[in-house]
Amino acid sequence: MKRSRKINIVLVIIAAVIAYFCLIPLLFMVFTSFKGMSESISSSTLLPKVWTMENYTSLLADVATAPVFRWLANTAIITCIGTLCVLAVDILAAYALSRLHVPFAGKIITMIIWVMTIPGIVTLFPSFYMFKNLDLLNTYIPLILPYTSNAMGVFLIYNFLKDFPVALEEAAIIDGASLFTVLRKVIFPSIKPVVMTLGFITFLNIYNDYLWPSIAIQSNEMKTVTVGIGSLVLGANFVDPGVMMAATVFAVFPALLLFLMVNKYIVKGVTNVGIK
Amino acid sequence: MKVSKWKSTIFIAPFLVCFGLFWLAPFVYGIYMSLHKLSLTRGNMGFIGLQNFLDLFNKDSMYSEAFFLGLKNTVIFVLVSVPLLVLISLGLALLVDNLPKKVQGFFRTVFFMSYAVSVTSVSAIFVWLFSGNGGFLNNMLVKMHIISQPVPWLEAQPLALIVLVITTIWWTIGFNMMLFINALNGIDTALYEASSIDGANFWNQFKSIIFPGIKSVFAFVTLTTVIASFNVFGQPQLITKGGPTQTTKSLIMVIQQTIFDGNNLGMGTAMALLMGVVVMVFALLQNFLTREKKELKGEK
Repeated sequence: MKRSRKINIVLVIIAAVIAYFCLIPLLFMVFTSFKGMSESISSSTLLPKVWTMENYTSLLADVATAPVFRWLANTAIITCIGTLCVLAVDILAAYALSRLHVPFAGKIITMIIWVMTIPGIVTLFPSFYMFKNLDLLNTYIPLILPYTSNAMGVFLIYNFLKDFPVALEEAAIIDGASLFTVLRKVIFPSIKPVVMTLGFITFLNIYNDYLWPSIAIQSNEMKTVTVGIGSLVLGANFVDPGVMMAATVFAVFPALLLFLMVNKYIVKGVTNVGIK
Repeated sequence: MKVSKWKSTIFIAPFLVCFGLFWLAPFVYGIYMSLHKLSLTRGNMGFIGLQNFLDLFNKDSMYSEAFFLGLKNTVIFVLVSVPLLVLISLGLALLVDNLPKKVQGFFRTVFFMSYAVSVTSVSAIFVWLFSGNGGFLNNMLVKMHIISQPVPWLEAQPLALIVLVITTIWWTIGFNMMLFINALNGIDTALYEASSIDGANFWNQFKSIIFPGIKSVFAFVTLTTVIASFNVFGQPQLITKGGPTQTTKSLIMVIQQTIFDGNNLGMGTAMALLMGVVVMVFALLQNFLTREKKELKGEK
């Protein structure tokens, strides 16, 4: 469709204005983290008049209140292991359901669809009480394993595999390949876009989860960076916006970097989530 | 392809075990817990049948009052936020879709970016954007002589609700927009060309080509947004702290406080179960309404 240059320019200007408003909160975060205490609470411009690193030095000095690097390490451990666990469990299950004639496959899929409609809040506090009774609160275990019960990923990959031709896999089996070889060499390359999307969504989901880790973890040392920032916002002693924003920069930066790196690849994959 | 049952079971076993341990077990245990007098510090004090649920529907019970206050606040938030969250993201998707190809990728990334930010970071930022005392917006408006006194954005209604909705819009429209963009890409471009030759304007195109083409995604986005807005927790917990005078205290905040501050775990799980039922009813109702609309359109 040919459109006039004028309309295009107007549309780009509108988009640029909206983009500016989308970026203001992030710019505010970055710039405020470089403002001194008195400037940050009275400032009416985004850019600092005097650039200072004092927020970062005082944040990193106060390890008792805000052990930011420890929080980031916790987050790195649980998001990486958690995402890998979810992907492994989901790929194996989807492969079995779509190809291997699992007993009661139809019933399992129906169950998965039903469970996806039940809100997570229903199982949240009982899970907490179970982990408490097992004395596993304040460990990585409740921060990793519960995510593997999410049926959405199985359903996503299953739906993708269902419509995929099986001829190639059968040929590989006849040639004597084991099921794992088929999964690795034939299936995996073809489901890679869905797996990437699922991995990205799962990673951000675990990284940014707040309610569950905030009740499963009480010890300051074991918090994820997301929960840590939450406790700083709630904490009465942390009233300097500059230091608060410096801590937030540490929390936002890794996820945003990952986002910008893989954004290109997941654009296509999101379709599959939407259409279900 | 013949595979022994034993082998195929090995592949599905990890999921079934995880699902059983971390979903089914807590689900069943939650029902059991809701039927008991249970507290975090004193443990299980015995079976009480449906007493927790009866209390929730007993007007004189403080739990009933708390639950229905939380439900009312949450439903208000859902009703205000969902139309905006769906329509603005659809608008953004249409805008991106109509931009020159060269800049589409850039704007799509910028609009989608906030999806990567956690609710706690979002809240930390928006607290200091809107804070009544030393917040950036107030400083700016005072400086520009638009207001003479700082506005109590977080301490008065309906301002507090508006701030929560703005925060949620900023935080979540990116993902919905992506779903809409992908749906728009699925529409045959020949249809646009044919219709614009016939002199159709944008509104005509939207009504007869675009909307029918994205109807199923529209219903899906609305459904997931309703569910997400029902589960609102981080923003009111951190930005308004449930205030002013508990008017932004969401249902999940009520449940959490019942369990941890009120030390009543049995009642908290009963509330969570009831909330689950309410969300499912809303979801079914919404699903039913969109389907109804589709059928009406079809008859026309």
